[in-house]
Amino acid sequence: MAGNKKIHSQDLVKLLEKWSQDFTVFAPSRENGEVLMREWDGKDTGFLEWYRNSTQPPKDAILPPLEKMFAFHKEKEGYRIELPPEQRRRLLFGIRPCDARALTIVDMPFKEGYEDPYYLARRQGTLLVGLSCTRPYDSCFCTSVGGGPSDASAVDVLLTDIGDGYLAEAATSAGGELLDGAGLADASPADEAKAVEAKKAALAGIGRKIDTEGLKDRLLSCFEDREFWEKTAAKCLSCGVCTFFCPTCYCFDINDEMVREEGARFRSWDSCAFSVYTQMPMENPRLEKWRRVRQKVCHKFEFYPMNFGVIGCVGCGRCIRLCPVNWDITRVLDSVPAAAQS
Amino acid sequence: MATDTAQRPAFPAGGNVYLPHIAVIEKVIDETPAVKTFHFNFKDEKLRQEFTFESGQFAEYSVFGVGEAPFCISSSPTRKDHLEFAMQRVGKVTTALHRLGVGAEIGFRGPYGNCFPLDVLQGKNLVFVGGGIGLAPLRSLIWNVVDNRDSYGKIDIVYGARTPADLCFQYDLDAWAKDGSIGMVTTIDREHPDWSGTVGLVPKVLEEVGPSPDNAVAIVCGPPIMIRFTFPALAKLGFTPEQMITTLEKRMKCGIGKCGRCNIGNLYVCRDGPVFSYAQIKDFISSEH
Amino acid sequence: MADIDIEKRLRQEARELLEQGKVDRIIGYEAGSLKFSTTPMVTADKDDTDRLVVNPFVVNNLSAFLTGMEGKTGVVAKGCDSRSIVSLMQDRKVARENLVILGIPCPGLVDVRKIEALLGKESDELEDIAREGDKVTVTAGGKKTELPPAKVLFDNCLACDMPTPEEYDVLLGEPQAPATDPTASRAGIEELEAKSPEQRWEFWKGEFSRCTRCYACRNACPACFCQRCFVEETHPQWVLPVPRWQDNLIFQLIRTIHVAGRCTDCGNCERACPAHIPLRSLSRKMYDMVDELFHYRAGTDRNPEPLLTAYDASESED
Repeated sequence: MAGNKKIHSQDLVKLLEKWSQDFTVFAPSRENGEVLMREWDGKDTGFLEWYRNSTQPPKDAILPPLEKMFAFHKEKEGYRIELPPEQRRRLLFGIRPCDARALTIVDMPFKEGYEDPYYLARRQGTLLVGLSCTRPYDSCFCTSVGGGPSDASAVDVLLTDIGDGYLAEAATSAGGELLDGAGLADASPADEAKAVEAKKAALAGIGRKIDTEGLKDRLLSCFEDREFWEKTAAKCLSCGVCTFFCPTCYCFDINDEMVREEGARFRSWDSCAFSVYTQMPMENPRLEKWRRVRQKVCHKFEFYPMNFGVIGCVGCGRCIRLCPVNWDITRVLDSVPAAAQS
Repeated sequence: MATDTAQRPAFPAGGNVYLPHIAVIEKVIDETPAVKTFHFNFKDEKLRQEFTFESGQFAEYSVFGVGEAPFCISSSPTRKDHLEFAMQRVGKVTTALHRLGVGAEIGFRGPYGNCFPLDVLQGKNLVFVGGGIGLAPLRSLIWNVVDNRDSYGKIDIVYGARTPADLCFQYDLDAWAKDGSIGMVTTIDREHPDWSGTVGLVPKVLEEVGPSPDNAVAIVCGPPIMIRFTFPALAKLGFTPEQMITTLEKRMKCGIGKCGRCNIGNLYVCRDGPVFSYAQIKDFISSEH
Repeated sequence: MADIDIEKRLRQEARELLEQGKVDRIIGYEAGSLKFSTTPMVTADKDDTDRLVVNPFVVNNLSAFLTGMEGKTGVVAKGCDSRSIVSLMQDRKVARENLVILGIPCPGLVDVRKIEALLGKESDELEDIAREGDKVTVTAGGKKTELPPAKVLFDNCLACDMPTPEEYDVLLGEPQAPATDPTASRAGIEELEAKSPEQRWEFWKGEFSRCTRCYACRNACPACFCQRCFVEETHPQWVLPVPRWQDNLIFQLIRTIHVAGRCTDCGNCERACPAHIPLRSLSRKMYDMVDELFHYRAGTDRNPEPLLTAYDASESED
């Protein structure tokens, strides 16, 4: 593609330093074995040796696990509300195509109707420099749900490892600006060819596949099949791992705290898997575990397509890798019975 | 597709939909030992003038430092000198609300949700079926209809509670009983020494009252179990699922269709509801409960 | 006895139990969907028993599924799991007569994360992990590496001195010798004990800053059987359900205290934690404290009342 640039491996640190002048650069880091996108330590890009994907999805930069919505002060004249300060613009370096695509999926409920100012401010203030996958996990299934290991549809820039450096493709005008200002060399035809090969190899590395043909209707058809859902839910622990570590999950809780005259309202990650998620004073519509498991599967693969026309899953495989009992969504979807013939 | 909320009047504080407006409590009415009605007004004069809402809509009310809870706006949009909401003390936020008195400041975010479809109800006979505090959203609509009486047909109200002490909005029940154009039946679940009126569960009493389904719409609100038995009772009387309207309650936090928890199938009670026809929800409601 | 033989016996026993209607369901392990993993199987279908497995990766404590189960259940239990069952019996969460305990003597389970760290490869990039007797052989990139158990078994397995279930209906293998060298498993705790209180505070602050309050630790733990956990109470609100490190730390400390006398050091909590927080450094320390103070080890004696729920006025106050 015309206009692609090449970043030499040895120039990467300088490039990140340059970008750090205008953005807070986030990059993969490892803490006791957990991989998280954190503020780049400014030292090196050694993380590229071991980085495959982060444990916690990069959605945590846009919809953090904990967010202060506003503070309130009880004063003589009454309550005064105070908004949190604006944040510096961010650059997420190394976000994978699946996680970037997930952000476009999560955008949908946060943009439609009443706009969510906190989410949108972070979203608009974050640039995504994506990194094509070279070592997909055996739990990845992005190609089955509309994505791919070098899908550039949701990033601003896509980097692809070509051995001695990276092919850099601008996918948005913001991405183009980022690359233009960096004084990079143009990519040669040989660079482009290497990138094509790398992308082909990564695509071949996606082994896990599911059939989503007619899935929405199959799920609608078996909604009342209690036996199926009880069997499916039997080993689920009802913890929040699959939802918290899912890049397309976004459910949140709102809580207040006040100490004497000072307080704040917080937003934090919540999960439809928790039994108290739908707890009401007199009843709980999802008291039984099978109803909650049904809700999670149907929300992502039936209700989201009904509301937004897209499957609410990007096939990143985190839920499969991290589930303490190896409950596997791909196995579950394969087991959904065929739609009843009417 | 998702409901288009862009057409609804919105009053976000400072352009941020999560910021509450400050409102001041002007009157507290003890409906029952657990239920209170609050009359309130916005601190901001301009908002007081501009604010509008429709019957059936709700708002998120804050006790700062304790939390937020959703309640319908129980006053009618035709009576704007103040706003009202009613709540039952059942948990953390409602207990904190219960302790508040005249002059206390609360937060208000709204109005949210859809509303009772007045355009559909115009010219029709209306059958209101309410239980306990479920009368709160209905009373907004009833007074709205009464204030525009000529636009609607017959009005029948069947309202009940567990015991006489649990009957809410006694002042409304008295007024409606005195109104010659309203058929008012109040009932309690079981015989009680302080009660000489109708006795029986609301769905059963409704069947006995036997309103005609011709050119009629039923609007139902009450505890989930009452709603669940009222739909079949209405069906027995000849009402179609499209002729049955209800307003649902779910655990809510954001109130604007984002936090995820209030859904029934692909519909969110806070955004696509809380007012639904039975036809809209019957596929998901039977096994959600 | 080799895993494969125990597995054969298990499948036979489980099938017979279902065929004869002696249990309503079997809870065991079957092959997981990822390499070197197993997943719990809950089944009433006798043909499913052909998929039951016994291998170095049967990590889940299946007794976590027992609380609240109706009818009769056949459950596969390693040493630690069987002690969890006894503890649940003491707390009246499960009735012994409703269980058929299929005991598996356990030579220790392989911690794939340790192998990943040693070889610098992730599990889906390894070809094979095989355990034969006392040897663990890892095949990666065509090359075989033999690793000593002390380097690759879970810490709680290295510390285990009761690998053979003592409460069971059927013992499916030869009793297993207990671990002889617990030093490898205590490294984490000893490091912490050597730190000053300020250093420990900084350490846990860092660790719990990664906690997202997913409650995998709590839900995977058989000792956490409360229908309504203290974190779910709003009235009063003991701990805010928000993932601040302070609230996270308080949650875990209270949870550790709540399971004192019930925890059998099965390691499920640490294994379940997606943030790799070393929870066992808290729970094992509690286990040791309970042993020191009360000479009590959960699940080793089914007679006493649960440790911290029984009070004797004549007990010493110190």
